[in-house]
Order: sequence, then C-alpha cells, then structure tokens
Amino acid sequence: MGSNSYDAIVVGTGISGGWAAKELTEHGLKTLVLDRGRMVKHGDYPTALLNPWELPYGGRPTLEDLRHQPVAARTGYVTSQASKHWFVDELDNPYVEKQRFDWIRGYHVGGRSITWGRQSYRWSQMDFEGNARDGIAVDWPIRYNDLAPWYDHVESFIGVSGSAENLSQLPDGKFLPPMELNCVEKEFKRTVAGKFERALIIGRAAHLTAPLAHSPQRGTCQFRNLCIRGCPFGAYFSSNSSTLPAAEKTGNMTLRPNAIVYELIYDGKGNRASGVRVLDAETGEQTEYFARVIFLCASTFGSAFILLNSISNRFPAGFGNDSGELGCNLMDHHLEVGASAIVDGFEDHYYSGRRPNGFYIPRYRNVGKDKRDYLRGFGYQGSAGRADWPSLMHDAALGVELKQKAAKPGPWHISLGGFGEILPYHENRVTLDRTRKDKFGLPVLAFDAGLKQNERLMRKDMANDAAEMLTAAGFRDVRSFDSVIGVGLGIHEMGAARMGRDPKTSVLNAWNQVHACKNVYVTDGACMTSSACQNPSLTYMALTARAANHAVEELKQMNL
Amino acid sequence: MDRREALKRVAWLMGGTVCASAVLAIEKGYSVTTSAGSKPSILSAAQMAIVSTMAEIMIPRTDTPGAIDVGVPGFIDLMLKDVYTQKDRDRYLSGLAEFDAAAQSEHGKKFVALEPTQQAALVRKFHDAAIVEEHRLNRPHARLQRSFVLMTKELTLLGFFTSQAGATQVLQYVAVPGSYHACVPVRQAGNGRTWAVQPGIQF
Repeated sequence: MGSNSYDAIVVGTGISGGWAAKELTEHGLKTLVLDRGRMVKHGDYPTALLNPWELPYGGRPTLEDLRHQPVAARTGYVTSQASKHWFVDELDNPYVEKQRFDWIRGYHVGGRSITWGRQSYRWSQMDFEGNARDGIAVDWPIRYNDLAPWYDHVESFIGVSGSAENLSQLPDGKFLPPMELNCVEKEFKRTVAGKFERALIIGRAAHLTAPLAHSPQRGTCQFRNLCIRGCPFGAYFSSNSSTLPAAEKTGNMTLRPNAIVYELIYDGKGNRASGVRVLDAETGEQTEYFARVIFLCASTFGSAFILLNSISNRFPAGFGNDSGELGCNLMDHHLEVGASAIVDGFEDHYYSGRRPNGFYIPRYRNVGKDKRDYLRGFGYQGSAGRADWPSLMHDAALGVELKQKAAKPGPWHISLGGFGEILPYHENRVTLDRTRKDKFGLPVLAFDAGLKQNERLMRKDMANDAAEMLTAAGFRDVRSFDSVIGVGLGIHEMGAARMGRDPKTSVLNAWNQVHACKNVYVTDGACMTSSACQNPSLTYMALTARAANHAVEELKQMNL
Repeated sequence: MDRREALKRVAWLMGGTVCASAVLAIEKGYSVTTSAGSKPSILSAAQMAIVSTMAEIMIPRTDTPGAIDVGVPGFIDLMLKDVYTQKDRDRYLSGLAEFDAAAQSEHGKKFVALEPTQQAALVRKFHDAAIVEEHRLNRPHARLQRSFVLMTKELTLLGFFTSQAGATQVLQYVAVPGSYHACVPVRQAGNGRTWAVQPGIQF
C-alpha cells in the first residue's frame, strides 16, 4: 500500500464513526479515521471541573458569543460558557434556511458524542414495520431481529443503565443497574400506571452505574450532571472515552483531525469508490486517501454533504443518487411540547447527588388497540425536583427573607415533554447551494423542511395528555406548553440517504451500502428510513457495528 | 435528566412561557465576580452607588456575605457591557434615572441620600409594581423588556447564587457528589439547605 492507502477509511468520529473505527480496527483492518475538527483526547474537557463561580457571565453567552452561534442559541442551553466550545462557529460554517432549520453542530474529534443526551432506547418491531404497515415512504429493509444482537453488542460495550420492563414497544436490553426515581416521580408513576395503564420508567442512559471490565479507563457515574462539558471520569459513553481508545489499542487506527472530507473519489472501475479527497482545515492543503472500503459517519448532513458534493459522470446528481432520494426525507423529533405542575406534599423529602437522567414514558399512542387521527406516536421525558433560587424571581421576598427562602428547598414541581415521530416526507429535503461558499470555499447546504399536519395533530395529544396525567395525579397549577420550533431542534436529524429494498426508491441497502457502489457504507443518521420516537443514537451504533462486521466479511469474501 | 425537559422546568420556574432566552436568563452557573477594584465601564460612580445599594437591599450581608461582598455590582456592570444589547442597556439606564427621580419627588433627596428604611421602601414599591406588570403583560422572555428593578434583581440573584459564598455559605454545594439518593429526609440531604446546583438544570 502507498502511504495514503489503507484497508478502510472512516469519515467522522462521533457516535457512529467511533463505532466504525472500533469494529474495523478490531478485525485487523488498517483504518484511517478522519475528522473535520480539532483533536480532543479523552480528558481534554476544559470546563469539566469548573465550579459555578469559575465561569464568567453567570454562564450566559455574551453578545459576541451569540454573533458566532445564533442557531445554537435557539436551543437555549448549548451556548452557555460551560459548553459553547463544543459547537461550531456559524460565521465560518454557514448554511441556508429556506424554512427555519435548527442545525446544531459540533466539529471536533468525538463530535456530538461528547454533548449528547445519553438516553438510549431500542427500537421495536413496530417501528421497523411502520412504513410498510401504514403504506408510506418505503419499507425498512431490516426488522428488529436483524438488529437485536447488535443492540446487545453495543449496550454491553458502552454501558446502559436501565430497568427491564418487558414492554413490546420498547424492548429490554443489556442493562447496568438502573438509576432511581425520586418520591414525586414514583407517585406520578402510580397514577400513570393505575389510571392510564401506561408505563413510567427511569430513563435508560449510557452511564456506568457499575464498572465495565473491558473499559478500565472509564469510571462510574459521580452524579455531577455536568455531562455536556465532557466527563473526566469517562462515566458516560462518548467516542473519546470509549470507542476511540478501543480502536487506538489495536494499533490499526490512524486518526487525522482537521481533515475535511469534501468528496468521494469514484474512479469508474468496478463500481467502486477508491478513496476520499480531503481539505486540511488549517493549511488548506488537499490530499487524496485511498481504501478498499469507506464508511461515511460524518453525521446525517455531514454525510449528505459529501454525497451531494461527489459528482461524476456515473453520478451526476450526487453519489449513489440513482433514485433521486438523496437529500430527501429529512426527519427529526419534534419537541418543546408537554406540561408541568406544582406538587404539594413531600416537603420533608429531598435528594442528594445530581442524577443526569429523568423518567421516561414510552409510546402508548397507536400502540395495540389505541387509534388516533394521526400516525405513530411520541414518548415523554421528564423529572421532578424542588424549586430553587430562580423561582424567587417573581417572589415578594427581598432582603433577609429572600436569603432564607433561597436556602430552604422550595416546592416540588414536575415537568414532562414529548419527543414525537416526524414522518419521512419526500419534500422535506436538503440540497447543495453552489452559489454560496463557506470559509473553506466549499458549497453550503440549503434546508427546506417543516412539520406537517400529522405532527401538528400529534402535538395536541402531547400537550393534552401530559396535562391530563398531571391533573389526574392531583398536582396543581398544571400548565401545558407548545412552542414554535424548527426541524432540527431535536438534534436527532435523520434521513437524506435512506435505506430501502429497492435501488429505485432508496440510497442504501439493508447493510447500509450505497446500492450502486457497495464499498461505500453510510451508517449515521442519514440512513434512517423512518424516525420512530426513541432517541436514535443507540440505533446508529447498532447499525454501524452491524455494517462494519458485514464489510469485514465482504472483504474476506473478496466481494468489495 | 433530559436537557429539553430541563428546559421546560426552568422556563416554567420563571413563570414564563418556554423560550430559549428565558432559560438563558436563569441558566445557573457560574457567576464570577469581577476583579476587585476594576473600574466600571457602563455605570458611572453615581449609578454604581444606586445599583450597589439596591443589590444589597435585595441580598444583604447577614451572618453570611451579601451582594456587595461577592461583587454583584461589578458583575451587573460587566453583564450590561458584554451580555445585554444596546437597547437593554438604554432601558436599564433610563429606568435607573426614573428610579432616582422618584426618590427625589417623594423625599426631596437622591436615592443614595435617603434613610435605609426609605431606600428599602422605594425598592419594595418598584419591585412589587414591576412583578404585577410582568404578570399582567405575560410576555415571553425574549419580548419581556424587563424593568430596571427586575433586571437588577435577576442579575443580583444570578451573580450572588453562582458566587462561591452564595453557593457554599447560603446554599450548599458539592462538586463531586459521587452517589445519588433519590429520596431522603431533608436533614439527611447534606446540611438540608437548597443545593446550589440542581439536578436537571445543569448539562
């Protein structure tokens, strides 16, 4: 092999890329792993150990910060002084919003695996059958049983704390000990179960509640709940703490940060991609790297960009885009809708430690005999806690009384918000705008996607059901909320290169291979055929591990 | 707990509808006091005297430090300079002038020259009226155009309770809890005071 030649190339180091790197290198493949952003080694988390008084501006972003991160600021939290460094400078990395589109990006080694929400839920058979059952979009080319062993594999490695519940719509997994619900959450659980026959469970979260023998570099959760800053204990799963060290250990990984992959090289011989073209983010130098197999794990729209920008005689409309579906069928989870309430009683109870997790109410709409005037459903995430000083903003107390009130734990309150499935609509899409360029001279993405009637009808249930359950529990001052959002705000973006059975209507096959070019795999959120309502990262990991093992077998069989 | 759910909780605590800036407004963290003796850049010495007096009325020194002890006035000046827009700053400064003018018209003296009880009463009067007005308007935080007195309160709360003294002497703070106990008697939750950093708000 030449100096720029490898067995495999992995583009991206986030949730998916880290898994591709680990699986491919552990099977002996010399693997080049590329990330467009700066290097972040496990432990390089500059704000992780700062106390509240060590962050400037009370943690708030300055006007100058907001000038660089106006879209990220729409989340209301990622631009804080504790975490802003994990999100891109949007002046350098612009995109076009034909409709409001909230694209929240992190360009650095580890990607958004550092800042993710850690909620880890399996999809169920119902989710993989949904499109076929409802006659929309295209059928998933796989079913739950295809993925179940890979969920096992992933959960066992990353560590997921949770409880076995025997729910058909939310299959159990390989769990570490669950975290605990607090007393108000347990009280709410009794109502949700007793009056509504719905489940309320502790969140399933990728935190170590017990040590993992295979990852001695990772410690158990210290209940600081400062996860978005990066965990110096390695207690929650990130690429940096887990999969990249595993890949490094094999001696088979070459990791190159600051390497912007902007194009796949299609050489026309044997329907294969021979490599990738890379722009150095610091020097602007252009380099070509070659490999027998290429994994695109650059994030949903990162991978979509590379495919759209890879034009050849064979693929004039984007790489692998024989179907015309490349860039289409964008999805996310719609959220910012639910209800909250104040809870009387339990005044003599409190908690200690900061649980980085909440409760989860799995989907119950359109499950079993339940039938609504919309398709699919939603799950809720929420928690209960006691009020503290921000609640004194509108309190009459001033002076000594204010200090005393702040020092005493306030009333209990509870809140829950839905995560709803967005259907795959062909017209919700992303395209390349070649008239505009980013800092690196590359064309930019243009988004045109919105919620539709199915989502709007679902949101009514998401607000009303939450309020109804809180009211039934006897809580007071129940308030529902339903905010205006852009697609993307869920930071669960999916679609753009969907899997399917038919090359005429999908971009990828059942193994995440580009239909028309089998040595290119796309295993991040771009591959998703529908969105379900569960947080998707665990499924990306399982799909990636499955695809990587498929690639290893295909290479052995000389099929790639 | 989940970040977005937390967003809801926080926004709700503030009594507003949910929006990003409502959360920013109270996202806890991390105030820092400005370095001692640094020169204010937005507020004049006279304005600084009014703001300092107000902040100390809201959070006075008791057996624990108060707003001035932890540097809240300098914090407010810094926030006005770097975090607030020109429009917010202008509204704040004109509100400050109106407040001082009210002292003049009610008592014939500038605010800082009033007796402490008169000062406290004037802050109380403006504070209570501003709360009624915010409830009446019921605007989302982005369009709140918060009054001078409540901006001062918001920044005093933020600056004080994220300061080391506020977090550790008035509230209680543990950097690395190490374990989680979901439901214990209050007196067994550390020293029983409110936690400076709540589960669910921090990310």
